[in-house]
Amino acid sequence: MANRHHEFLDRGGRVFAISADTVPMNAAVVDKLALPFPILSDPDRDQVITPMGFADEKDPREIARPGVAIISPEAEVVYSFVGRDYADRPLEDVLLEELGQLGLEPTSQPAPELGSIEAGEKAMPYRGLSPYFRGAKFAGLAMRSRHRDLGEDFSGDMQAYIEMIDRYLEALRGVEGRRA
Amino acid sequence: MAIEFTVSDTAGNPWTLSDHLDSAVVLTFQRGDF
Repeated sequence: MANRHHEFLDRGGRVFAISADTVPMNAAVVDKLALPFPILSDPDRDQVITPMGFADEKDPREIARPGVAIISPEAEVVYSFVGRDYADRPLEDVLLEELGQLGLEPTSQPAPELGSIEAGEKAMPYRGLSPYFRGAKFAGLAMRSRHRDLGEDFSGDMQAYIEMIDRYLEALRGVEGRRA
Repeated sequence: MAIEFTVSDTAGNPWTLSDHLDSAVVLTFQRGDF
């Protein structure tokens, strides 16, 4: 989403990520990925994550499900997608189409202001992200090849997973560009 | 209607939805600790 941030702004939408992590942890992610938008913190999940239906009740870490909500200037939720798991996320093209239907004027968004930065204990260093995603992709390719007999549901899920990893790898190239 | 809520931004400042509705707001929910 960061790589196509300008396309969201062109359609009159400002982007805000949100997680249950602390403010310093979120600042660390914004800094690591050179994100052009902030990550908001809802540590108890009681302000927006749970009320809007994005709490992952099965995960003991008390985190959010991945997903997106688009809220119009009239405060209407015009689009909502709650992912089943970390590999279930809406395509940016879909989000831009939904946003464009609002017919809004282009807008702008200031760079996020960062306070104290403190990465979480499990946060992956930037240099590890590309090898991690490449490994995840090859694992997906291997599983798809090994289990071709499991039918179209499985092969379709695997294809979507592999394409998601490709988008992550492309997003990392965007990080390099923003850092340059 | 969307619920009104206040959370914290990456500088620790309060962030309230209704203060940001001069445009559309695209909220992307993250699992975190990444």
